[in-house]
Amino acid sequence: MDKSMLGDLDSLPEEDKIRMSAMIDQLQIRDSLRMYNSLVERCFSDCVDNFRRKSLDKQEETCVRRCAEKFLKHSMRVGMRFAELNQGAATQD
Amino acid sequence: MFTWVEDITMAAKNGSTTIEKEQIFGMAEQEMEYRVDLFNRLTKICFDKCIDKRYKESELNMGENSCIDRCVSKYWQVTNLIGQLLGSNRPPM
Repeated sequence: MDKSMLGDLDSLPEEDKIRMSAMIDQLQIRDSLRMYNSLVERCFSDCVDNFRRKSLDKQEETCVRRCAEKFLKHSMRVGMRFAELNQGAATQD
Repeated sequence: MFTWVEDITMAAKNGSTTIEKEQIFGMAEQEMEYRVDLFNRLTKICFDKCIDKRYKESELNMGENSCIDRCVSKYWQVTNLIGQLLGSNRPPM
């Protein structure tokens, strides 16, 4: 979800374009916050399972970093493929 | 990508009533939210199915990349299939 959708909207009257743009901004912010929360929950669930101490140990911290990076890279790739499919680009099996 | 762009443009040209325009904006917002939701679910499911939760590294390996591509493709096909099934089974109004 990004402003590239606005390419579609060039033909709209100015006030409608502004309104659409504001709507997209709002959706984007909401989605970013949602993503933040779900990523924390995911990486916590996958990486932390002992409560011997209050602080994360080195292993847990490394795990969380990898988890987050991996998810973000994954999300980007999904976005790429999703955009291709949206445009009807056929790809090899 | 969005079907309502033409609707709004036409409504603006015809000087359509505020109510009609509001309806179109409402539909546009719903469609955008639907797409965001679709993307988020797709991302989540394909991550769960394709990525090794041991997080041995922060990069995606070749196997994971292929899995992601195929997962996205299949998810997309299922979306279209279900869409067709729901479309044809709609009870007469």
